Amino acid sequence: MKRFAIAPHLIGLYPLGMMTIFFLGPLAFMVVVSFYLRDPLGFYKVDFVWENYGKFFSSFYYSVSLRSIWTSALASLLTVALAFPAIFIIVGMRRKWQLVWVIGLLALMCLSEVVIGFAWVILMSESAGIPRLLGWLGLWENPRSLSPSRLAMLIGMVSLGFSLVALMFYPQLSQRDRAIEEAAQTLGTPPAKVFFKVVLPIFRPALASSLVTMFVFYLGVYVMPTMLGRPQDWNMSVIITDKAVEQANMPLGAALAVIMLVFTVLLIGGFALATRKEGAK
Amino acid sequence: MTGMFRGMTAIAVTGLAFAAGAAQAEEITVSSWGGFFEETLAAEIYPGFTETTGIEVRSIAQPADQAWLTQLTSAARAKKAPADLSLVSDEVLARGRTIGLWAALDPQAMPSTDFLKDGFVKADDDGTFAVAALSFWSTFVTNTDFRAEAPESWAELWTGDWDGKLGMASAVNSGLLEITAVTHFGGYEIMETREGLEQVIAKIAELKPNVRLWYRDEGQFQQGLESGEFNGGTYFHDVAMLSIYDGNPIASTFPKEGGVLSDAYWIVPRDSKHGEAAQKFIDYMSQPVVQAEMARVLGVAPVAKRELMDLTEEEFSAVSNDLEPIRVQTEIHLREGDWLADKYLEMISR
Repeated sequence: MKRFAIAPHLIGLYPLGMMTIFFLGPLAFMVVVSFYLRDPLGFYKVDFVWENYGKFFSSFYYSVSLRSIWTSALASLLTVALAFPAIFIIVGMRRKWQLVWVIGLLALMCLSEVVIGFAWVILMSESAGIPRLLGWLGLWENPRSLSPSRLAMLIGMVSLGFSLVALMFYPQLSQRDRAIEEAAQTLGTPPAKVFFKVVLPIFRPALASSLVTMFVFYLGVYVMPTMLGRPQDWNMSVIITDKAVEQANMPLGAALAVIMLVFTVLLIGGFALATRKEGAK
Repeated sequence: MTGMFRGMTAIAVTGLAFAAGAAQAEEITVSSWGGFFEETLAAEIYPGFTETTGIEVRSIAQPADQAWLTQLTSAARAKKAPADLSLVSDEVLARGRTIGLWAALDPQAMPSTDFLKDGFVKADDDGTFAVAALSFWSTFVTNTDFRAEAPESWAELWTGDWDGKLGMASAVNSGLLEITAVTHFGGYEIMETREGLEQVIAKIAELKPNVRLWYRDEGQFQQGLESGEFNGGTYFHDVAMLSIYDGNPIASTFPKEGGVLSDAYWIVPRDSKHGEAAQKFIDYMSQPVVQAEMARVLGVAPVAKRELMDLTEEEFSAVSNDLEPIRVQTEIHLREGDWLADKYLEMISR
């Protein structure tokens, strides 16, 4: 008879403990608060009501969530489409230059969201930035500030996620087996075609998972929409902050956050299921 | 962040003094809005209080109104007071009062509060709970490079040529609802009903083509106004005046309908252990001399009776104004809070 050993299972307590302290605990509290009753004159009252969730299904929050999903999807697509070829080119360089680029990308990552956002605000302002340069060059007659706008916000978001995606692919791309690409090239396939017909298909699952990762990452951005976007570009994170922090409506803020979380979990779950099916095929 | 760092330094210094066995004076922690405000109060105003009473002041920065209320509420649950005194807006004052966050104050212990204008010692059936600290104006600011003459009426927000470059605060309680009600609907009565509020919001929506930025962060608007990125908008008079003294091409104008006047109050969090010292502090801050000094160094409007202060005509008109002010209708905002905030946000984000 095999004896049940406790010791190896005890080690599982460590991640469980960490998860409980840093994630599950606060999460449980958030779920509890989302059922509390909002007290418009004060804070909240301990209760069990569904009305905070009911509010989500008004046209306003509904349209804000659709907007968040659409912007995050677009930004993640743009980021991966820009960062993947970039890092593909970088890993083809000599070791020394690769190092320079990787250090550059790491440096970009250590800048805070606020610094990147503010840099773009200045770059896009009519008094100091790109519009002024274009005006000075005579390319733009009446230069106007480019921010706040949806484009400005997307640019800000992409610059936030670019190095993340690039560095995510760096180990995979630099250690990849180049035999198939070399074979294709030997047979006379032009490099661009090799990239699209060979490299991209090989990395399809990794690309898909980076798209999902970035999508979830962008759902939570707060600084870029507020600094570079107009009110019509503000996403769910901004609205949640407004409700919870500015208007002291914790229950509604919590309920909206729970809805976002459920949506994200469903999305990741759906993705995991889809890739597993594909793997089984 | 500065506030936090400052706080930590203060703790370290106090700790050292204690270790050295030095006699420790009583110390109170006073929180106010972070940045220039808190720094100036700490540097220019509080030392006078310490000199008079021997009570040390530890000055800390507090976050924006509602975020601070959230922190105060959580702290009160743990029977703690993050500060012994705090500067709060009237909306926070009302909310905090409902949930019993403020300690009771004794007007007898604060004789100087008699020098304040009427209605500035806040009391209800359960007693006194707050004393006005200062007032501040929001005015019609313009970039003088774009437009030299000052606007006469708030109506010019709608009718003036701003080249699509106005900057307005995005918060529902910024005063724009009240400006619109007074300018276009003859007063606040229209705000009593939801239909009326919707009419006011629809009127504000007409501004949208002219508004380049609905600002959440004051710094972003101010910088843009100074550089000509924006041609006009609503902004805090005191900060605008500081910018003007720095030589920026800005004008801050009280339109004929009046500027928007807001008050800030001193409150003592319920769990503070320095109630008596805190009342001495409020008493000191209510003195006309101190009120006048605050007007000079901070540019805020004093809450003491004007005739008791030694402010010259010029000094007074730089910080305040005798026109009937426009007042944010806090009661309506509290009553219709969620509905109103959603309607407003829907309007600006559509």
